[in-house]
Amino acid sequence: MDVILFTVFNGLLYGMLLFMLSSGLTLIFGMMGVLNFAHASFFMLGAYFAYQISKYIGFVPALFIAPLIVAVCGAMVEKYALRRVHKFGHVAELLFTFGLFYIIEELVQMVWGKVPVGYHVPEFLDFTLFSMSGMGYQAYAMFTLLVSIAIFFALFSVLTKTRAGLIIQAALTHPEIVSSLGHNVPRVFMAVFGLGCALAGLAGVLAGNTLGTEPSMALSLGPIVFVVIVVGGLGSLKGALVASILIGVLQTTAISLDLSINSLIETLGFAVDLESLWHILIDLTISQVAPILPYLLLVVMLIVRPRGLFGNRDV
Amino acid sequence: MLTNFIKILLLSITLISYASISKAEDTIKIAIIEPMSGPLASVGLDLIEGLEFFAERINKAGGVLGGKHIEIVPYDNAMVAEKTIQQLRKVIDDDIRYVTQGVGSNHALNIIKTLGKHNKRNPGKEIMFLNHSAVTTSFTNELCNFYHFRFDANVDMKVAALVSQMTKDPSIKKVYLLNQNYAYGQSFQAAARRLLAERAPQIEIVGDELIVPFGKILDFNPYVSKITSSGADTVLTGNWGPDAARLIKATANSQLKVNFYTIYAGIPAAMNSMGVKVSTFNPIVQVTESHENDPSHPDWLKEIDAEYMAYANKSPYADRQRFMMDMFAAAVNEAGTADPTAVGWALEGMTAKGAHGDVHMRAEDHQMHFDMVLSRISTDVEKTFIYNNEDYGMAYATDGWVNMADITLPTTCKMKRPKK
Amino acid sequence: MLNILKPFSTWIIIAAIAAALPLIFESSFALTLLSKMGVLIIFTVAYNMLLGQGGMLSFGHAIYFGLAGYASIHILNGIGEETLPYFPTVLFPLIGAIVGLFFGSIVGYVSTRRAGTAFAMISLGFCEMVTAMTLIFVIFFNGEDGIQTDRMVGPEPFGVSFGPQIEVYYLILFWVLLTVALMYIITKTPFGRMSNAVRDNPERAAFIGYSVRRVRWQAFALSSMFAGAAGSLHAINYEHIGFESVSVVQSGAVLFMAFIGGAGHFLGPIIGAIGLTYLDSTLADITEAWLLYLGLTFSGIVMFAPGGLAGLIVMHGPIARTNKNLLFSLIKPYLLAIGSVITGLLGLIGIIEMLYFRSLISKGEGEIIIFWTEFNANGILSWLIFIGLILLGIFLSKRTFPVAKESWDNAISVVKTEISNE
Repeated sequence: MDVILFTVFNGLLYGMLLFMLSSGLTLIFGMMGVLNFAHASFFMLGAYFAYQISKYIGFVPALFIAPLIVAVCGAMVEKYALRRVHKFGHVAELLFTFGLFYIIEELVQMVWGKVPVGYHVPEFLDFTLFSMSGMGYQAYAMFTLLVSIAIFFALFSVLTKTRAGLIIQAALTHPEIVSSLGHNVPRVFMAVFGLGCALAGLAGVLAGNTLGTEPSMALSLGPIVFVVIVVGGLGSLKGALVASILIGVLQTTAISLDLSINSLIETLGFAVDLESLWHILIDLTISQVAPILPYLLLVVMLIVRPRGLFGNRDV
Repeated sequence: MLTNFIKILLLSITLISYASISKAEDTIKIAIIEPMSGPLASVGLDLIEGLEFFAERINKAGGVLGGKHIEIVPYDNAMVAEKTIQQLRKVIDDDIRYVTQGVGSNHALNIIKTLGKHNKRNPGKEIMFLNHSAVTTSFTNELCNFYHFRFDANVDMKVAALVSQMTKDPSIKKVYLLNQNYAYGQSFQAAARRLLAERAPQIEIVGDELIVPFGKILDFNPYVSKITSSGADTVLTGNWGPDAARLIKATANSQLKVNFYTIYAGIPAAMNSMGVKVSTFNPIVQVTESHENDPSHPDWLKEIDAEYMAYANKSPYADRQRFMMDMFAAAVNEAGTADPTAVGWALEGMTAKGAHGDVHMRAEDHQMHFDMVLSRISTDVEKTFIYNNEDYGMAYATDGWVNMADITLPTTCKMKRPKK
Repeated sequence: MLNILKPFSTWIIIAAIAAALPLIFESSFALTLLSKMGVLIIFTVAYNMLLGQGGMLSFGHAIYFGLAGYASIHILNGIGEETLPYFPTVLFPLIGAIVGLFFGSIVGYVSTRRAGTAFAMISLGFCEMVTAMTLIFVIFFNGEDGIQTDRMVGPEPFGVSFGPQIEVYYLILFWVLLTVALMYIITKTPFGRMSNAVRDNPERAAFIGYSVRRVRWQAFALSSMFAGAAGSLHAINYEHIGFESVSVVQSGAVLFMAFIGGAGHFLGPIIGAIGLTYLDSTLADITEAWLLYLGLTFSGIVMFAPGGLAGLIVMHGPIARTNKNLLFSLIKPYLLAIGSVITGLLGLIGIIEMLYFRSLISKGEGEIIIFWTEFNANGILSWLIFIGLILLGIFLSKRTFPVAKESWDNAISVVKTEISNE
């Protein structure tokens, strides 16, 4: 029982981190139709800015300033580059951000070097808040969890309940009408892109110190975020939340299971005597195959339900 | 239109020619293939810097063969096995006869196999592999080769040293094995299983796991909860780089008290990303051939450490690169030529000065032998670790030494030797 | 007799030149490079069947390249250990093609429902899945170590053992010519045209009775088949295959080549493959910032010249055909514009190199060699020089670019009037 409880809880912690990352991506995609390959790069920028700022004026200001700087970077990218590419279509935008991914990774190395930087959890949150069946949980992890939950509710209510949210949604579907109503559509897009990047940046601020802040962090987290938004349904915030938690729990549960095909056969009362080659295959435990499970989920989802969990159109 | 393209095509190919001009220089080149980009770049760059330093030391002292200089030529493999092969091809094309590498046994394995084919197909143009840190045991057992010399202890020897230290601590009863799923991690796993059963039957293995290597696992919490529920008091792991740092971090953050017996948890970059609080929460024991806070650290080595600090702004991590370069220079001088075959014969059985007595290259399998020191990360040390002007506020403190004789193991190597 | 050969004259000339290349460039470096180029030409042209001809952006095409490589290595090893019957090395790309076709048909069936960004994302997901599998199913893929083989197996027909690199080069060359010719022919068939139609206007293609998904699926499978042939040759060339060959990195590399070369033209990917392979083998050793330059070039091409290099060249086709002198009149304004851009770039490169230098090297006095000249990365003077160059470049570009654009507009309007006069 205990095992199940803390496996699920661990999965939730990891899943909410994925959500923070993917919320910005799905927001940008849903609002603008732009798929930002470099999204995880903005996550990395957030971590590095936070490292630099917290070195001088502390973690709390960094928590606010770093995402802001990332937002400005994102807005600049939208204004000076994406807007120009927009006329060539969404694929061109995706291609541009693919190049941007390389550029940001290299720029980060140029400024901060290739060695991981020492970005650590702030002292005042570095204590054990509570423990559950022998495993302690750090106050910082709970703080991260709370922030990500707050983000979900804030985003959800802003987009569906406020005037600004309605304008944003309308700007995508009816740009001419919105602009004839006196709203600056390009500026709305710039703001959305900046906001999406800021969310990624915030995730970077919060996760950079636990995962390690290094130039390859964008590459290691990038692809999984795409899985989240496809599984959740493209452009759906709710979908991103559910898919993130699903993938988080799936991963952690799988790692805790030492079951293999062979052990299954043995519990059924049979013994297998295979050649050594095949033996290795059926001896693979679920915990060993855990890293492919999210991608397997993606494939299954594509076959069974191409629109994703909460999407409104097929992929 | 097509003909225009052909012209362009031709033009671009003509440009190749400039690269094909090779210059004859009076240096002995050693190619070093290590990650200079990607997640483990820091490890590779530090090693290259170290080798360059030791080569320069030899050159300043007059070089080899009466004035020839040793030149270190770096090649980036980005920690990808395919890149290693492509870079090795480049080394062959550049007509360099010595290759050194150490980060990642997967690369070393590919270098050994590729050079095996090359040396067989190109007699008289053999290339020697000076292995400074790739420790998979099979390289000096069934895969042993005359043109491969290993200047680090192999996994079996290191695990033997760790196990002998573990037996000195009666509180260790249950151990959890966690390793990276590639040549080196599998070798560690096999050695740990065997040596624990042979030398420490009182210690029970309560978990045995292989993980996907090289920083691909971000969240180690599930592994920590597995270790917790297994009731282990000690984790014996060969993990290095981010895989070590994240594991130790996740363990400290969940307040799990276990001993870490490791080979590489003390790699500088990993220590930095963990910070003092995490690094000292649990005892982290590592095994090396030397460290600068050891009471028996000889004065002449302290001088070299100080020189290195002045050169690279870094505290030394271990000693093997130093004696590798010194022994290489001595072997070239003894052979009187830079030809790998002659140098190979000279290196066999060679002895050199080490931090704790002599170090010895066993002729039988080209495996280096020396005493090894067990040390743990501590803040209570004379010299704290310094890296690019950053003071880590901690370093290693000696737990104990393991005698060379205790970790000397038989080999299965049956080496074919070329004519002298 | 000669008349029959005439339509193939270009191919024959290319084949003859390519066959003579190793005689001109004798170094083993050139041979290594040429072999690598050959493999990547096949792969990039195959990739462009998707990107350029079919309008599908894939981040996962290395799957078929890599899996074919793994299959070839296993079969080579099987022959070496005599657990498999002998199969001539010359025909190995056929095995790769079958493997590529097989996996391409399966994945293509699932993923070609939509093109555009959704397709791209799914291809990325598949690629990550296969990469993760190579690290988990160690029994077949051997994880991070990859698999080694020895290509010198079996009998040696006509004394060809494929041990020496030169023999491998001719093997690759043969397959480059064959596959590229086949792929060229495919673009001229009704199927090739249909693929273009589906790319340009899927609704209309569907309206006239074609199954859009089916056309995409066929293009995907064919493209995977040729990618598989390239993968086989890659495995034989290096006698090794590792997880990077199926990864997003390899997929990204082929995308860079196809797009920078020019996805819209059949020869674009070939230009891209040759150019980038060359630069990758030379520049990557000289500068730390190679990937930054590559990323900047790629993003620049996406923004300013989506037709790639081939697009820029083809753009001038009508002018050259109408009036050669008109084309020559463009040279001067172009050179001026290019010159001013280069001035700015020199400054930018200098700054980037010095920044990299400062972040990576902690020791020494700060001497750095840029463009064969020594600079002091810590001195204000060198920074001023490079910043000055950038400013000069911008200043010059502001003057020369309008002139270049004006000449181009002029030339094109002349062409237009001449055409309408005809």
